Amino acid sequence: MANLTSEQVRQLAGDLLRMTNALGDYRYENFELLSEEENMRIKELHNQQLEHVTELYTKSAVLVIDDVENSLGEIAIITQQTLDLYKKLTNVQKILDRATAVLTLAAAVISIDTGKITSSIKDLVA
Amino acid sequence: MLSSAFKNLGLSLALSLVLGACINLKHVGELSKTSIEGIEKYETLPQSFTQICTEDCEQRSISDFKIHNTACDCEQNIKADSITRVIYETTRDYFYGLVDISDNKLTGYQTADLNTALATGDFGPVKLNEADVNAYSKVSTLLLRAFTDGYRRKKVKEYVSQGHEPLKVMIHFLEMNLSGNLNGKLEVQKSTVKNFYFDFVMNKKLSPYERTKFAEDYFRRISEISRKQKELDAFSTILQEIEGGHEILYQNINNLEDKEVKGKLARLGRKLKNAIAALSKSK
Repeated sequence: MANLTSEQVRQLAGDLLRMTNALGDYRYENFELLSEEENMRIKELHNQQLEHVTELYTKSAVLVIDDVENSLGEIAIITQQTLDLYKKLTNVQKILDRATAVLTLAAAVISIDTGKITSSIKDLVA
Repeated sequence: MLSSAFKNLGLSLALSLVLGACINLKHVGELSKTSIEGIEKYETLPQSFTQICTEDCEQRSISDFKIHNTACDCEQNIKADSITRVIYETTRDYFYGLVDISDNKLTGYQTADLNTALATGDFGPVKLNEADVNAYSKVSTLLLRAFTDGYRRKKVKEYVSQGHEPLKVMIHFLEMNLSGNLNGKLEVQKSTVKNFYFDFVMNKKLSPYERTKFAEDYFRRISEISRKQKELDAFSTILQEIEGGHEILYQNINNLEDKEVKGKLARLGRKLKNAIAALSKSK
């Protein structure tokens, strides 16, 4: 199984399902002609085959991880970079706020108002 | 007087230049948001690998007339669901990223505090009047936008170009797991249900009433499975529309401002909305 791709396993499951259903149809169409024992045996075989087919579909779904591994990684990196970019752009607002605080402090220093200087420094430190 | 006229002229010139530099990626953001709305329909799908495994296991117990010791081994199906969910979440997050970088809100910086600081500041011999402060503030905001818009446009281009191929792979395999594998399991379930009911419906030792009831039960179950398959089909259409939308974005990444491209994206957005509505109707 390790050498088969998810796509191949899915196709195999589809082919097997068609074969399995042909067995079921044979029983449904010849129900009256078959003995009770034959009917039961085919019914049981049909059921077992269906169980294998559904298991194959699950296997194909699990194998998908091998096919998407690289793409998963690439997309995750690109998305993460964007989230970082978002943070970076948000930082522009922080820089703007800080520049404003510095400007307020500068104005306070120029006006030699100790009260204003103290509150501006507090704002900057906050 | 003359210097004031020059100042106003300069200001108007700067404003018009900067306004021209600003771009509107609203249509990219809107298509991405609709893509998210579509892909998140995954959460509402009626079926999972684990659920089908449990139902099949219950069906086996019913066939065997067994209600004791009926534990099911669904480990592989749990794994299949986890893998499918990882692909779904990664695809969805990609579009969230695209919304983030194409959203105008990012560059709508708050400069109200700066205005106040400029307006109330006593800068020694320099005095600024309120009208000048507001005008300078507008220019600085627009300059900031022009700078970040250029950056944004570049980033959207990089994001869509780098993300296109891996995104196609993800959508392909998400669709394969749902329309191919999960749908295949439902198809198997239909056959199992028929195999089970057939003998009861054909059993002449049972009364016609009992046989009719079995036949009714059979058709009810088949129709229930078909309804689930239809939902998977509808979701598959959504995935194809999402992929188509991203393809248009990718092919026209250098002309996103083009009216025709904007029109194409808007049309795709509407198609996607219709596909989403179709899924809601099939429930």
